[in-house]
Amino acid sequence: MMIRKFHIVALWLSLMAVALMSCHDEPEWNNDAYGNFDALWTIMDEHYAFFDYKQVDWDEVRTRYRARLSPGITSQELFELCGDMLKELRDGHTNLIASHDVSRYWIWEQYPVNYDERVIDEHYLNFNYRRSSGIKYAILSDNVGYMYYESFVNKIGEGNLDLIFNYLSTADGLIIDVRSNGGGYLTNVETLVGCFIEKRSLVGSIQHKTGPGHNDMSEPYDYYFEPTKNHIHYLKPVVILANRGSFSATNNFVSIMKQLPQVTIVGDTTGGGSGLPFTSELPNGWNVRFSSCPIRDAQGNITEFGVAPDVKIDQTDEDTARGHDTLLDTAINVLLKKRQ
Amino acid sequence: MQRLLTTISTILLLALVLPAQQTDTEQVFRPVASVFMADVGHSSILDSYLTPITYGGINVGLSYSATQATGFAPERWVRQLSFAADYSGVDNRVGNNDMQALMAEAQWGMMRRWTGIWKPQLQLMAGGMTRLRGGGIYDAANSNNVVSVKIHWSLGLMGMAVYNTHIGRLPITLAYQVTLPVAGVFFSPDYDESYYEIYLGNHSGLVHFGWWGNRFDMANLVTADLHFGNTFLRVGYRNRIERSYVNHLNTHITTHSVVVGLGGDFLSVPRKGISSQARIISSMY
Repeated sequence: MMIRKFHIVALWLSLMAVALMSCHDEPEWNNDAYGNFDALWTIMDEHYAFFDYKQVDWDEVRTRYRARLSPGITSQELFELCGDMLKELRDGHTNLIASHDVSRYWIWEQYPVNYDERVIDEHYLNFNYRRSSGIKYAILSDNVGYMYYESFVNKIGEGNLDLIFNYLSTADGLIIDVRSNGGGYLTNVETLVGCFIEKRSLVGSIQHKTGPGHNDMSEPYDYYFEPTKNHIHYLKPVVILANRGSFSATNNFVSIMKQLPQVTIVGDTTGGGSGLPFTSELPNGWNVRFSSCPIRDAQGNITEFGVAPDVKIDQTDEDTARGHDTLLDTAINVLLKKRQ
Repeated sequence: MQRLLTTISTILLLALVLPAQQTDTEQVFRPVASVFMADVGHSSILDSYLTPITYGGINVGLSYSATQATGFAPERWVRQLSFAADYSGVDNRVGNNDMQALMAEAQWGMMRRWTGIWKPQLQLMAGGMTRLRGGGIYDAANSNNVVSVKIHWSLGLMGMAVYNTHIGRLPITLAYQVTLPVAGVFFSPDYDESYYEIYLGNHSGLVHFGWWGNRFDMANLVTADLHFGNTFLRVGYRNRIERSYVNHLNTHITTHSVVVGLGGDFLSVPRKGISSQARIISSMY
């Protein structure tokens, strides 16, 4: 009887021990300067995807920035310190978000803008254009179709694209202007690209972190886009106009379109931002956004620092003075040459 | 573990097969104890896919359960079917962000009943259950990890203690019920896997075998049913504990709720009535 009781107790204790394995405690940080700093550093350490690619020594960064902490540091000073630490990652998707400010590393702020909407509206469109699904479109004087998509946040409908392409069907080619388009939803990239491909196409691969270690990454997963069904396919020559402000989903769009034979990329290198961002949180309620899931192009390249154009061109002062858009003029010339 | 799963599976299989072999021609009536319940309480949620911070706030829920003696061996076996949905609106500690959680479940269980072990008014029941529970936790402040989807199907243990008594002339039924999933399958993305990657077609590694080593889930319900004729008013307390740790993702959900319900021990009476020799076997009362 004693042995039986012992077995029952042993079994019960074993089951409880196993059950405790599912109870895993999360680290708790104090809601003070040191606690919030440590929380931020740890979240990034465990979740950020590009430490190795960017060759950032995150431990060294911690040592350097933590030494600047002091017990009397104000919330504002802590925010600036933490924001500066995040800038070490040179990542436009990495922001510290507080109620009073958003820290940022926006690469396009360091390069020529290469885009002035007013110049195009006034000198190329004569303020006479159509607008659908957040896309501004018209036929330019050289019989070249033009559409400006200002944000991939704006939902694109395939029916709207049919109307746009129908209207532009008499033009000899198409310019898709995605300058200063800061990104948005990748599903809109899929919808738009689907109008320019004729068969199921490999467009890239995606990875994710599988654990807190810097090298805990999944194998790249190849993904494909399908051509649009029962809607218009646009197969005439296409020029994509890009600048450093073409970021995130727009960077992804340009990297995919660059693979297509009928497409030429004109302008500046895109802004990059190839990591799908995740968001986490500090004890004081500040949010931190960071790149978590790298997306590669069809050749397996990481485009975190942008996609180079086929034709590199910057806005010139002379063109600015005479109300011309150097990049748009170049794009028109590319299409006119293809027409010949 | 394998033996335990086999036992639970056998109980569930018996429950499916045996009722079809029995009829009520023996004039055995089995009333259904049906009750609708509303829960109000507090929920504490940690889901490290969304945030490392524990959120807390209100939890409300609605549920329905039907408990009935089985068609076979009605004195010895009881089955229960229940449906529930609950919502949690929780805030972080500094109160500048909130999350919403919405879950729904269906549960079926069958228990062996023992009566008169200690006192004639006391019934003890133990058996197996299966549960499908799913929903999601939504954090609008997040980017590509804006939601954490929760789906799990489990097999487990279920137990109940029922004590029928009186306060003055008012019949009261005191009951304690525990459900304890032991094994099953559940959904979880990888550590920092986005739902966009899943949408693109990468479905590998999303379904996990759940056991106490990576998932623990227990629900406790303590109730007092105050009988007024064939109907009763239920008051009680419900507690649910959910823990999971898989792919380095940590989930802690704990709820404490006050329960209020209305129900009855309902019997479908044939046109010819109930003969004096008929036996009425209630599941609880």
